Amino acid sequence: MDHSDAVHLKATERYLLNELDPEQLDQFEEHLFDCPDCALDVRAAAMLVEQSKAILSERTSAAAVKVPVPAPRPWLAWLRPALAVPLMAVLLAVVVYQNLVVYPGMKNAENTAYLFPAASINVATRSAATPVVRSKSGEPFVLLVNLPTENRFSSYIADLYDPPGHIKWSVPISAETANDTVPIRIPGQLNAGIYTLAVRGIPQEGGSPLDIGRQPFELRLN
Amino acid sequence: MQFQAFDAPYVERLRSGDFRTQEHFVAYFSELIQLKLRARLRSPQAIEDVRQETFVRVFAALRSPGGIRQPERLGAFVNSICNNVLLEHYRSSSRSDSLDDEPQNELPDPVMDVLGAVAAKQMEEKVREILDEMPERDRRILREVFLEERDKDDVCQDFAVDRDYLRVLLHRAKQSFKLLYLKNIERRPPGLTAAGKV
Repeated sequence: MDHSDAVHLKATERYLLNELDPEQLDQFEEHLFDCPDCALDVRAAAMLVEQSKAILSERTSAAAVKVPVPAPRPWLAWLRPALAVPLMAVLLAVVVYQNLVVYPGMKNAENTAYLFPAASINVATRSAATPVVRSKSGEPFVLLVNLPTENRFSSYIADLYDPPGHIKWSVPISAETANDTVPIRIPGQLNAGIYTLAVRGIPQEGGSPLDIGRQPFELRLN
Repeated sequence: MQFQAFDAPYVERLRSGDFRTQEHFVAYFSELIQLKLRARLRSPQAIEDVRQETFVRVFAALRSPGGIRQPERLGAFVNSICNNVLLEHYRSSSRSDSLDDEPQNELPDPVMDVLGAVAAKQMEEKVREILDEMPERDRRILREVFLEERDKDDVCQDFAVDRDYLRVLLHRAKQSFKLLYLKNIERRPPGLTAAGKV
């Protein structure tokens, strides 16, 4: 491969996108090591990608969902006789229903074994295929997370990102818990899509958490 | 880091142990070796082991009778040594198998400098500017491809683009960034690397 071949092929971009086949990869790397123009091109593009990842990652972490705060209303504005009596009747009906139907049902469910849908997540290694969790809408599921534990971390944080890249929640994981597979129960409030579980380690000596790895997984709802 | 021509005088300075030349040589090819190995080895320790061993063998070859026969192809020589070390790494489970018994030369370490930290800050600002000027869709594409490491075909399908769109997106961003990158690496003396070095 000569320089004009590399330019015509957009070899720099393909190299960083891992799109070169093995033969092209060998040829481009042989050329790259000898060609100052291509070496500069690849180094600049690689730095751009690394900086972009850091900036896009911090933007994702900083994104917050703003909940609109309702305007304050007068304290007793709603309490009028024409409204209060039917409201009381409805509340009474709810209390009776809960005591006669819902609570006995929950007690029964407490004593029944239940299987959660689950998927294994290996952080810090790239899975060839994206893990898939098959669940029902509103039903919780479990992620079985395997972490590469290191003595330099005192604890860990697992972050869940939704498909647009917003962080949904974070959960702390102790170093002791991380020595084994960590089961994380995810509430059944998510829509179908590709989510990402990211894990950060808290250094023993303090300081900012360090990225350990991330693994996307797909949630499919029946 | 300025490019220096890899010619016979350069190879001779390298062979004779000129520290500045060694420093430049290691810094220049370390970046390329790390980029090459990043896609092939997962462990930072393994990448560092292969990198170190590559340089050990290149310096050993330089000092052997006959040395390097084609100085102008020094880069290709480094690449082929790296390929051999990588192959051995795949085959062996223990790094000690691939080392020879001769004492290893100490390799110059990259040095952080104030100018490098300033340059890194400038480059970070430039990348922010490039990302801010992109449509939100393109930022999301970059995030899903490079940060979330999603399958590229899936990303293209989700965003209704083809693979060439990804390449053009990366190409344009790189072209915007490259001028500042070049300016910053030319400003530093040869052999000194920036804080933001890849």
